[in-house]
Parts: sequence; structure tokens; C-alpha cells
Amino acid sequence: MRTDFATLALAATLAPLAALAEELVVPDGIMDLDGDPAYGAYLGGECAGCHQLDAYDGIPPLHGLDREHFILAMLEYRQKLRANPAMQQVAGRLSDEEIAALAAYFNESE
Amino acid sequence: MLLNRRGFLGTGAAALSLAAPMVRAQGKPRVVVVGGGAGGATAARYIAKDSEGAIDVTLIEPSRSYYTCFFSNLYLGGFRTLESLAHSYGTLASEYGINVVHDWATGVDRDAKTVALAGGGSVPYDRLILSPGIDFVEGSVEGWSLAAQNAMPHAYKGGSQTELLKAQLEDMDEGGTFVMVAPPNPFRCPPGPYERVSMVASYLKANNPTAKIIISDPKESFSKQALFEEGWNQHYSGMITRIGPDFGAENTSVNPADMTVDIDGEVVNAAVVNVIPAQKAGLICESAGLTEGNWAPVVPETMQSRMDENIHILGDAAAQGDMPKSGFSANSQAKVCAMAVRGALTDSQVFPARFSNTCWSLISENNGVKVGASYEATEEKIASTGGFISDTGEDAALREATYEESIGWYAGITSDMFG
Repeated sequence: MRTDFATLALAATLAPLAALAEELVVPDGIMDLDGDPAYGAYLGGECAGCHQLDAYDGIPPLHGLDREHFILAMLEYRQKLRANPAMQQVAGRLSDEEIAALAAYFNESE
Repeated sequence: MLLNRRGFLGTGAAALSLAAPMVRAQGKPRVVVVGGGAGGATAARYIAKDSEGAIDVTLIEPSRSYYTCFFSNLYLGGFRTLESLAHSYGTLASEYGINVVHDWATGVDRDAKTVALAGGGSVPYDRLILSPGIDFVEGSVEGWSLAAQNAMPHAYKGGSQTELLKAQLEDMDEGGTFVMVAPPNPFRCPPGPYERVSMVASYLKANNPTAKIIISDPKESFSKQALFEEGWNQHYSGMITRIGPDFGAENTSVNPADMTVDIDGEVVNAAVVNVIPAQKAGLICESAGLTEGNWAPVVPETMQSRMDENIHILGDAAAQGDMPKSGFSANSQAKVCAMAVRGALTDSQVFPARFSNTCWSLISENNGVKVGASYEATEEKIASTGGFISDTGEDAALREATYEESIGWYAGITSDMFG
């Protein structure tokens, strides 16, 4: 079941990526940042106010998310290349280090 | 993983034995949480989960089944069942090892650091978290008191009051009048009264289309006003009249005996009267000497009371600055508070506080809108750092997607509260 949820989440996360990829600016080195999962666990509390961690009910689940795809999705929201204003608001105040911390946490979490 | 540390659903004798200091866990710091809603349940769960047994957590909440206030308007509109709003504390007890005590916390002895229970005895704490929600300001609507809440329900606390208002709505005579007396600022769930009007109108349009809705509102303006008014014109044309302060709404009184509402001398015969009085912090904050005016001031970085560093106050009861009084806000504040409490009691890592809020409202079937913001802690208050709101004129597909998102949020936040 978890794989199914993760796939669903990934599909939702990546759907608009292809059309927008040429506009996305990926900061140098963000993919190589060593995110702090403890900080990610704290920051992830904000995500858990809306997202279930392992179930899909209108909002994608977050546990087990692929690190690189998560980072790209957050960058898209931060740069307002994706439409959801709630997620633009959340990602808009995340630094590169904070995105990496969240990516590390969700990637490791079960 | 945290099983069997007094993981019972405390009742009666169990609650009393819990209260005796000699049965406390050996040397573990003790956190007591009063109120099992969006603030209290979340704080209890995060402290228990993240301390991995190092902190003894007791949650005091009178209700065995908790009915969320959020989404209760959707029940009035016929878009949710009452059962879908009910949640139990069983998982918090069995999976997180939280001592869930179903009793009323009646007072706080701040010197002895104990919480008194209505059922007798008291519970000691090292840190106390109060998340009692709201109570009503007596006399704020002339003619109304808690004694009249059956004739004229407030339905502003979840559960039986919501059920009562729904039953009265369904019993309305054909062409009858539904009157809402809206509250002054600040109050729980700023868009709540207006979402409620939308949901009542949705029900009446389908079941009693000649009925009318009158809102007596002491405020000049209200949350998401342009969005609601656009929706009311589109979907409920001619059904809803809002009387603001410019037409004397501040001079409103009610008579529960003959079901009339007097708005600045105009007497309305009503089939249903929904009185949402002025609000204040849950009574225990006042009795513990933690309030200034109607609310309990807090230190933004930790949600500690400004009157007592061993007490934290969450959610609607707190005077914190810019965040609206909402379940989302309480849930957000609870996670900052849980981190601060763990840091103080177990030296765990503490990160800078950050808060957020989003409030969804349903205007008509599949027609959802939202407003939200991010917040940071300053010395003075929790301060907004930017926000967003749905636009008027959005297409139906976006509104439906927003409504679907709100359903996902409900599942997410209740899972975050109750496990």
C-alpha cells in the first residue's frame, strides 16, 4: 500500500513539471546539501497539519517521498511556477537548507 | 512503542488514583494538557511521540467523543454526517501512552503546580498546557444566556449544539426566518458565521426555498467578505440580508420565550435564532489568573503564559497577535509549544518557532475558497509574514479543487491531532 501512496503522491507532485521545467531555476548545490533530518522532522510538523503521512484523501501523503523530486516540487512552489497559493506560501519561506532538511526527513521516514 | 505506561482511558477511580502523587512515574518530568481539541490533543501527541517515553503526558478532556467545530457547518448544509466529525482518544492512549483522563479540570494551583479535577483529586505538573477553547461573555447579547441555549443555540462548540441547530433548521416552517446574531471581534473561526450562513442557505434553497436569512452583525466587515457576498448573490439571491452596525446591529436583543429578535427597534419573528455571543478564553484561564481582558497573553516563541513560565496557552484562548482563532492555528501553535516544552524538560533540540494558518470555507456545493498566512514569533507578538486569499470570479474547477483540498486537510489535521 505504501508504494501505491508514494506513487500517487509522486504523480501529483510531478504532473506539471514537464511543461514548466525550462523556467525552473535550481540553485547551485541544492541537490548536494546534506539536510538535517531532525530539523526536517520539526519543519514537517507544518506539513502534517494538512498532509496525512501515509494516506491519500485529496492531499498527497509525504512519507517515503523521493528526495530529488521533493526538492524540485518545493522549488517550483517557491518560484510560483505551480498554482496552489497555500503551497506557495509554505515553500516561499523555506531556505535551500530547509528544503534539503525536509527532503531528508520525508525520504527517511516510514 | 510507548505502550503500557498507564495507557488507560482514565475514568472514575482510575482518574483518582492517577491524581495521587505517589503513583507518578519515577522521576520523569510531567506534562499536563487541559483540553483535547486542535491545540491540546496535538501538543499531547507530539510531546509523547517525540520524547519517546521520557516525558509523562496526561490529557484532561471531559468528552469521550470529540466533535470538531471545524466542518460542523458542512453538517448543517448536509455535506457531512455528524459521525464523520467525531473522534476518540483511544489511539492517543494506546499507541502514544498518554494518560487520557475524562474529567473537567476545574482550577490550577500555580504555587503547588497541580490541576484540580471535578471528579476529585488533583494532577501534578512540571509544565501545564491549557488549550480550553472559548467561553462566552455573559450579557453580550441582551436577553440571551446559557440557560437559553436550547431555544437559541450558539452551535459554536462542536457536538450537541450543532446537532440541535441542524434539527431546528430542518423543522423550520415553510417561508420561515433564520436569524443569526453574529459576534464582535475577536472570535473563534472568523469565516465561521458566514460559512454557516452559506450552508444554511444551501439547505434552505433545496428544502425551504421561500425561507429567509437575516444576519445581525456588529462588525463593519468580515473575513472573506467579497467571496461570500459574491457567492450569496450567485447562489442564494434574495434569501440573505445582513444588517451591519450602520443599521443598528449593535443594538440587538433577543427574547427566547417568544422567539423574537429586536434589531434597533425592528422586531423579527424568527423560526430559528442562532446567537453567537462575544467570546473569551476558556474559564480555566481566567480562574488561574492568566488573562488580561478576555484573553490569555503568551510569549510567541514558546506559547508560554506571560503570567507564569510553567504554563503554556494554545489556540483560541491565547492572545498571541496576528493569527486568527482557528483549529489550524491551534494545531500549528501546539507543535511549537511541544518543541519548547521538550526542550525545557529534556534538553532536546529547539528550533525557531514558525506558524501557519489556512482556513477553507464552503460557499455552495463544491464551491470552496480559502485564506491563509505564515507567521513568525517576534518579541511583541506572533506576526504575519504574508498571506493569500482566493479570488472572486474563480472558475468552478478551481473552486471544486479547493473544496477537495479542504477534505484532505480535515483528514490530515484530525490524524495529526488524534493519531
